[in-house]
Amino acid sequence: MLNIQHLTKTYGEKKAVDDLTLEIRPGEIFGFIGHNGAGKSTTLKSVAGILQFDQGTITIDGKNILTDPVACKKDLAYIPDNPDLYEFMSGIKYLNFIGDIFGIPAAQRQERIRKYADLFELTGDLAQPISAYSHGMKQKLALISAWIHDPKLIVMDEPFVGLDPKASHLLKEMMREHCDRGGAIFFSTHVLEVAEKLCDKVAIIKQGRLVKVGTMEEVKGDASLEAVFLELEAE
Amino acid sequence: MLKVLLKKQLSEVFKGYFFDAKKNKMRSKASIAAYFLLFIVLMVGMLGGMFTMLALSLCDGLASVGMGWLYFLLMGGLAILLGAFGSVFNSYSGLYLAKDNDLLLSLPIPVRTIMTARLMNVYLMGLMYSATVLIPTLVVYWIAAGATVSNVLCGILFFLIVTIIILLLSCLLGWVVARISLKLKNRSFITVLISLLFLGAYYFFYFKANDYIRDMLLNAEIYGEKIKGAAYGLYLFGRIGEGDWMAAGIFAAMLAVLSALLWRAMSRSFLRIATAGGAASKVRYVEKRAKERSPFGALLSKEFARFTSSATYMLNCGLGILFLPIAGIMLLIKGKEFFGVLDQVFSARPDGAAVLLCAVFFMMLAMVDVAAPSVSLEGKSIWIPQSLPVEPKTVLRAKLSVQLILSVVAMLVAALCAAIVLPMRAELRVMLVAVSLAGAVFASVFNLFVGVKMPVLTWTNEMTPIKQSGAVAISLFGEWGVAVLLGGLYFLIGYKLGAMPYLLIWTVLLLAVSFGLLRWLDTKGSRSFAAL
Repeated sequence: MLNIQHLTKTYGEKKAVDDLTLEIRPGEIFGFIGHNGAGKSTTLKSVAGILQFDQGTITIDGKNILTDPVACKKDLAYIPDNPDLYEFMSGIKYLNFIGDIFGIPAAQRQERIRKYADLFELTGDLAQPISAYSHGMKQKLALISAWIHDPKLIVMDEPFVGLDPKASHLLKEMMREHCDRGGAIFFSTHVLEVAEKLCDKVAIIKQGRLVKVGTMEEVKGDASLEAVFLELEAE
Repeated sequence: MLKVLLKKQLSEVFKGYFFDAKKNKMRSKASIAAYFLLFIVLMVGMLGGMFTMLALSLCDGLASVGMGWLYFLLMGGLAILLGAFGSVFNSYSGLYLAKDNDLLLSLPIPVRTIMTARLMNVYLMGLMYSATVLIPTLVVYWIAAGATVSNVLCGILFFLIVTIIILLLSCLLGWVVARISLKLKNRSFITVLISLLFLGAYYFFYFKANDYIRDMLLNAEIYGEKIKGAAYGLYLFGRIGEGDWMAAGIFAAMLAVLSALLWRAMSRSFLRIATAGGAASKVRYVEKRAKERSPFGALLSKEFARFTSSATYMLNCGLGILFLPIAGIMLLIKGKEFFGVLDQVFSARPDGAAVLLCAVFFMMLAMVDVAAPSVSLEGKSIWIPQSLPVEPKTVLRAKLSVQLILSVVAMLVAALCAAIVLPMRAELRVMLVAVSLAGAVFASVFNLFVGVKMPVLTWTNEMTPIKQSGAVAISLFGEWGVAVLLGGLYFLIGYKLGAMPYLLIWTVLLLAVSFGLLRWLDTKGSRSFAAL
C-alpha cells in the first residue's frame, strides 16, 4: 500500500529524514515512534504530498507521489498533529467540501456523515462554525473528514491528542475496522501503550534515521515497547 | 515585557519586509531597505502628496487672515476621520480577535500589558495613516506662517494630541463593535453594512469638500465667529497648532482624563470579549441533502465563503465591487453633463474624456484585491489544499475566479452604463467596455500573482495578510500606477494615435500580460504554492 524508499529531506543543513525506507501492506496498522524532532511529521507530510523531499521515492498503491500526486491523494487521507481547519466554515460545510473534492455521491456522503458524526457525538454541533469548536471537536471533525471518503491509506500525526477517552476508544476500533477491510494506517504517536496494543508493525525513528522496524513482536520481543524505545534513545 | 510584545506584533506586521518566506531566510540589508523605501514612497508620495495639495489650498487663505486655527481644525478633523473611522473594525479585530490571545493569557504576562501592547498596535496604525495628513499640515503651515519655537513645539503637541484622539476614538468604536458583535449572528455582513454607512458619510463629505472649502475660504470670518461662539472647544483645538500653550494644556489634560476612563472601561471587559470564542448562540443542525459540486466548484464556494465570512476582508479588499456599479449609476444620472464638461476641458485631446473615464474605472478597480491576500489567508490551514487530490493550479484558479467574477461583473455594470449614456461613437463605446473588462482580468491575475509571490502564512490576526501585507500594498499601488499610465500616456503621446487604437493597444497589452501571468500561475506559481 505504502512504499517509502530512501527518503531524505533536509531543512537548511539539517537532515530531518535520512535515507528512510519502509513498507506498509494492506491491512496493517503501522505505528511510527520517535522523540520530538526525530522526523516523524516530516515523513508523514512527505507521504501526504505536502512536503517536497530531496531524495527517494514514495509510492501509494503503486503510484508515485511526486509524478502522480492527485491520484495518490485520492487514495489517502491525512490528519495533521494540529487540526487547523477552515474556521469560517461550519462543521457540515467542511465535510461537504471534502465530500465534493473526493466526489462522494450525495446519498453516500450523507449516510457516512450521519454514521461517523453520531459515533463521535458531533451531530448536534455540525451547524456550528468550526471557530466555536474545541480542540477535541476539531480533531473529531478531521477524523470524520478522513473516514467519509473511505481512503485506502490513512496517515495521521498524533491522532489521539485532544480526544476524550470515549473518542480515543472509538478511533482505535475504527482503525482496526478500516484495516480489516483491506485499508492501511500509518500514524505517529507518543503514547507507547496505545501503539503496543494497536499496531501490527512499528518503526522507531531517531534523528531522521530508522533505528528499528518490524512487527510488534520483532521490535519489542519480551520487553515492553517503552523499554525498547528508551533503550534505543539512550544509545 | 511590553517591549517584547510590541516587538512580536511589529515583527508580524513587517515580517514580509525582513523575511523571504519563499527562500525561508532573512532578506539582505539592501532588500530590506528597498522594501521600506518603497513603503515610504507609496505612503508619503501617494497619500501625503494628496494631503499636501489640500493643505496648500487651505493654509495661505486662512493663515493670512489670522485664522490658522480653522486650518488646523479642518486638517486635524480630516486626520481623525482617516485614522479612526477608517479603521474602526480593524481596531476591533486588532484588540480582541488576535489568535494568540489564549497563548498570551496563559503566560505570566499581566492582562494590562497585553492590552497595552494591542493598544500600541492600534496607535501605530492610526499614527501611520494620520501622519500622511498631519505632517503636510504642519510643514505647510510652518512655511506659510513662519516657524517660531512656540508654534513648532505646539505643532508637535498638536500632532500627538490628534493621534491620541484617534486612539481613543478607535478604541471606543472598536469596543462598541465588540459589544455588539458578541450578540450578533451575521456579524460580518452587519459590520460591513455599518462600515459602509460610515464610508458613505465620509465620501459624501469628501465629494462636497471642494464646495465646503471654497465656501469656508470666502466666509472664513463668519464661520470662525460661529464656531467660536457655539463650539469653543473646537476653536481651542485649532489654536494648539498656532502655538497656544493654554489650549494645548487644556486638551492634554482632557485627553488624559478621557484615556483613564476608557482604559478603565476596556480593562473591565477585555478578558471577557477577547476570550468569548465567537459563538453568539448555538445553531441547531438539521440534516439536509447535500448538493454535489465539482472539486473546482467546491474550492470556489470555499473561497467565496472565506471572503464573505470576514468583514475585514470584504471592507479592505472588496470596496471597488460596490463603487464601480455606483459610479455606473451616477454616470446614468449625471454622465452626459459631466462628460460634456470633460470634453470641453480636454478639447485639445480628442476623446480624452473617454480615456480618462477608463483610468478612473481602473482606479476604482484597484480597490478590488480579493485575490492578493487569498494565499496568505490559508495560514495554518494550508495543509488542507496541499493534501487534497486537486492540482495546485485548480486551487489557484478558484482563488482567481472569485476576484474575476466579482470584478468583471462590477466593471461590466460600470462600463455598460458609461457606454449607454455617454455621447461617443459606437466603436469607442465597444472599446471602452473591452478595455475595462481587460483591466478587470489583468487586475485579478496580477493580484493573485503578487499573492503567490509574497505569501505570509504565519499570522495571528487576519489583518496582517489583508491590510498590512506587501502583496496587498503592491496590488493596490500597482493598479493605481496602471491607471495613471493609461490616462497619463494618452495625454502625453497617446492622443496622436487616437483613442480607438490607443485603447485597443491597452486591451491587447493587458490581455497579453494577463495571459503571461496566468501561464506563470499554472506552472511556476502552482509549484510555489505546493511548496509553501
